[in-house]
Amino acid sequence: MNTFFYQLKRSPLAILGILIIFIWILIAIFGPSLMYYTHTHIDSEHQMVKPGVNRHLLGTDALGRDLLSRIVYGSRSILTVALLTSIVSTFLGIIFGFTAGYFGGRLDSLFLQTMNILMAIPPLVLSMVVLGILGDSTIFSLTLIVSITFIPATARVSRGVLLTEKNQEYVSAAHIRGESHLYVMFIEILPNTIGPIIVEATARFAYSIMMVASLGFLGVGLQPPTPDWGMMVIENKEIMTQAPWAILFPALAIASLVIAISIFSDFVSKVLIHE
Amino acid sequence: MSRIVIFIFSKLGSLLATLVIMSFIIFMLVELMPGDVAQMILGQSATEEAVSALREARGLNEPILKRYALWIKGVVFGDLGESIYMQGVAINSILWRRVGHSLILALTAFLMFVPLSLFFGVLAGVKEHKLSDSIISFFGLATMALPEFVSGVFLISIFALKLKWFPIVSVIPIGESLLSNLNIVLLPAFSITFVMFGYVSRMQRSSMIQVMHSDYIRAATLKGMPRSYVIFRHALKNALLPSITIIGMNMGWLFGGLVVVETLFGFPGMGTLLMSAIKTRDVPLIEACVLLITVIFSLSTVATDLLYSALNPKIRLTGGQR
Amino acid sequence: MKRSILMIFLILFLSVTFIFAGGAKEKVKAEKVIRVAEQVPGLITPGVWDGQAFSFNSSIYEFLVEMDSDTSELKPLLATDWQTDDGSTWTFHLRDDVRFHDGSPFTAADVKFTIERTQDESIGHLKKQDFAIVESIETPDDYTVVLHLREPRPTFIYQMTDYNMAILSSQYDYQRYGESQPMGTGPFVLRQYIPKEAAQLDKNPNYWDSRYPIVDALIIYFVPDIEASISMLESGSVDIVPFVSQVIGKRLKESNPEIELISPYQEMRFISMRVDEKPFNDNRVRLALKYAMDPYIIARSVAQMELGDGIYYNESPIMNILPEYKALPLRERDTAKAKQLLKEAGYPNGLSVDLYYASDHPFGKELSQTIQELALEGGFKINLKGYTRDVYLAQYWLNVPLSITGWAGRPDPSMLLQLAFKGGGSWNESHIDEPQLNALIDKISMEPDDAVRLKLYHDLQDYFYAEGSLIDVQVPLLIATSKAVVNYRHPLTQIPQYKYFDLK
Repeated sequence: MNTFFYQLKRSPLAILGILIIFIWILIAIFGPSLMYYTHTHIDSEHQMVKPGVNRHLLGTDALGRDLLSRIVYGSRSILTVALLTSIVSTFLGIIFGFTAGYFGGRLDSLFLQTMNILMAIPPLVLSMVVLGILGDSTIFSLTLIVSITFIPATARVSRGVLLTEKNQEYVSAAHIRGESHLYVMFIEILPNTIGPIIVEATARFAYSIMMVASLGFLGVGLQPPTPDWGMMVIENKEIMTQAPWAILFPALAIASLVIAISIFSDFVSKVLIHE
Repeated sequence: MSRIVIFIFSKLGSLLATLVIMSFIIFMLVELMPGDVAQMILGQSATEEAVSALREARGLNEPILKRYALWIKGVVFGDLGESIYMQGVAINSILWRRVGHSLILALTAFLMFVPLSLFFGVLAGVKEHKLSDSIISFFGLATMALPEFVSGVFLISIFALKLKWFPIVSVIPIGESLLSNLNIVLLPAFSITFVMFGYVSRMQRSSMIQVMHSDYIRAATLKGMPRSYVIFRHALKNALLPSITIIGMNMGWLFGGLVVVETLFGFPGMGTLLMSAIKTRDVPLIEACVLLITVIFSLSTVATDLLYSALNPKIRLTGGQR
Repeated sequence: MKRSILMIFLILFLSVTFIFAGGAKEKVKAEKVIRVAEQVPGLITPGVWDGQAFSFNSSIYEFLVEMDSDTSELKPLLATDWQTDDGSTWTFHLRDDVRFHDGSPFTAADVKFTIERTQDESIGHLKKQDFAIVESIETPDDYTVVLHLREPRPTFIYQMTDYNMAILSSQYDYQRYGESQPMGTGPFVLRQYIPKEAAQLDKNPNYWDSRYPIVDALIIYFVPDIEASISMLESGSVDIVPFVSQVIGKRLKESNPEIELISPYQEMRFISMRVDEKPFNDNRVRLALKYAMDPYIIARSVAQMELGDGIYYNESPIMNILPEYKALPLRERDTAKAKQLLKEAGYPNGLSVDLYYASDHPFGKELSQTIQELALEGGFKINLKGYTRDVYLAQYWLNVPLSITGWAGRPDPSMLLQLAFKGGGSWNESHIDEPQLNALIDKISMEPDDAVRLKLYHDLQDYFYAEGSLIDVQVPLLIATSKAVVNYRHPLTQIPQYKYFDLK
């Protein structure tokens, strides 16, 4: 932990990244209640107005809705789904990866083969087909499908680290003590492998934001009027020349979040892996 | 020689096995999902009898395994079946043209981002901590964070709308082929390039840095060899290898990006075909598209693996035991 | 060695860019070709053609009669004249010099086939209910058709203008070839068709009217993205782009004087409440929703237009351009009254209801979100359920408490009344089955006297205002054309008449 803060002080970029993430989390939690307009309020006399007009700090879209408010509300759903997805996929990855690595043999080959199959379809295509046919996308279905497409990546990392630890002495010691397999896997090994797993989880966080935004663009995002940043870009594409801020701000929101998380992920990787 | 052949064959073999299982899963997934195609064709006011008659006529009431067997048999012999939504239209007649278009788009994007990202990645790595490095790194980071449709929208607004250099054309004049109208591929390929550039250039940079800091490079510099000689003769070889892996790993993203970009630009490729198939619940068409995408994607992954093995002496010599 | 590889890569990349930026191919054409960029069609076989991509079908197929786009009068087309007694028997005389594109002659048998086909269960014909009224068809000779209807329908002739009643050949297998090789008697013949991408149609050299078509060929591109279509229009690659949105229209008007905007007709958006179930079975709840609406805000937010200037709002299915229309005063928005009505109906704390709509249909998203927002202040908590149009129509449409659906205007509204507001109508979204309303609708359909019928229509609209199940927003459709296109004709039947178009 100390090394963490020490390193942190030495890289301003990482500090910036963490700060941005923190700000977004604050926005997601407290933002909506601080907004002057709700995200669905239609100010029909001020459609497509520039930032600053009539208390619309970031301007309005074609319907006359406040962009700032929509971005703030949207942060909630995107962060929730992204967070849930990275947690769920990491969790499932640990379960699958650890089991495969620990027991080895046939279970492992089965695991590898299954992962091969799962990886044969590009993740966006799979999500798009499943969600498209299901029709109605909820936070639950989005999280589930995207997590499933992420499992090969998280499971591979988990399995990899488990394999490096499997033959360590403390593991054999635990065996001799008569501890159960579950105990060995999760109480003994897991804490020592948490580093790379967390790094992967943060990477997944960034990826899931991209995925959710892209799925929103493809029309299988959350139901309107839930402001999905991806859908906002698409909806406002036709007023691009009249109201460029309507796509600029959601795009910046997506970019800032993903960049911040990527920086953070890089930093965590540097700290946890090289210690 | 035999080791290599065995290696290639084993890869292809497992690919085939994967594809067979994959086809089964795709089929099950699409067929078992909610939504009745017959109902969709006949509409809400159709009678129960009409709907079940249509299902019967299309063989939709057969047991699912039998339907799978029929489908797979067709696929193997090159017949992807008929669209259920557009009666009488053979899938082959619409699909392959789109496949060709998407491949050209993917190839173009590939030819764009690979040289660009490798070059700039190497440059950034060599000039580590200098200004050019910071600029390149930042640019890479920024583009990586923009999903394809976002960079696409920006490209459209800048190049097509403001500057009017490339009008957003997404159709091929009838009677002509894509090859004689390659200008429509440019903007979409550019959008894909953005994201891929980010990933690959960053990876290339860090791998280059690692190599530059390695002992034998320093030794070579200390021995007095000119810097550029060191870079080109020694460092590059080792720095490029991990990038191939990264490119391979990101192929999945390239294909996903393809769908997004095609939709954004209205490009007549497999992505847009799949989207409209999903919209109309055209089950055979969905299955054909997904299967094809999977096949192409898997082949490219295998190709990357083989390339990596071929270039990495360690793998070559140990025969694929990683 | 490595340097040269890198150099090669760089050169490759640069050359790739240059090749591709090579520029558009310019083809010099001596003939007149109109190029259109329209949406990607779903199904195109007449009967199941759900009203997209009009340019394509309307040029290949033809109808018995056509509507004059200026006067809305019906003019002979494949039929030379028609008579009826009191509306129960209709006699059509047909042209004797028409051939289908495959060379076969057009005769009364083809008309009989086209009409009988509407009742074929295996097709799912969209006009099935409309034509169920035909009891029998006689063809006394090759160029005469006699229809016997079960009841008198003085305005039945309008049924033959419906875009799904394109006359088909009784010898052609439309089940197998309808989607891939459409074939009719129209002014243009299909030369090449790439499904969902593009089509080229040539002037029909054997067209029965030698004056038309004026242009030599028609090229249609199916472009999913409206921005791309507009871009093609602006750069001169196409001449016509149908169905642009208001926002784009405004932008075009300002930025590009070479482009004209035409608004040939309007469509309707029915917001239907299901009256056979809670909550909308109580008229107070229906009125509450109506009181929560603000037509001015709806107009602005849905179409960026002012109410009355291209976009209209009323509570009955009769369009304001029709002579049968009765102008009723707009209900004043009264959210307090809405809440009061809800309370009286047993919902003191407001009411939660799902609104289903087609998310990819023009105006769908904007209208649903505007309604949701407006209804909130009236005590309604509306949950939006948007699906793609095919899915919406196939799975949800007629089975939900509150829905938004697009309806085409019909020159004869009685057709629509029978379909949608009479008990048993196959497209009765609101499941309304009021004996007095049913009687009124029947009277309207059978009334031969225009003046009497007009009075009946007025009574109908009064009924809707008082206790109807419907809110109707009439939305404009814009066509963007380059100034080179002359003689654009597009009547209320939604069928663009390409044979008249000319290019300067």
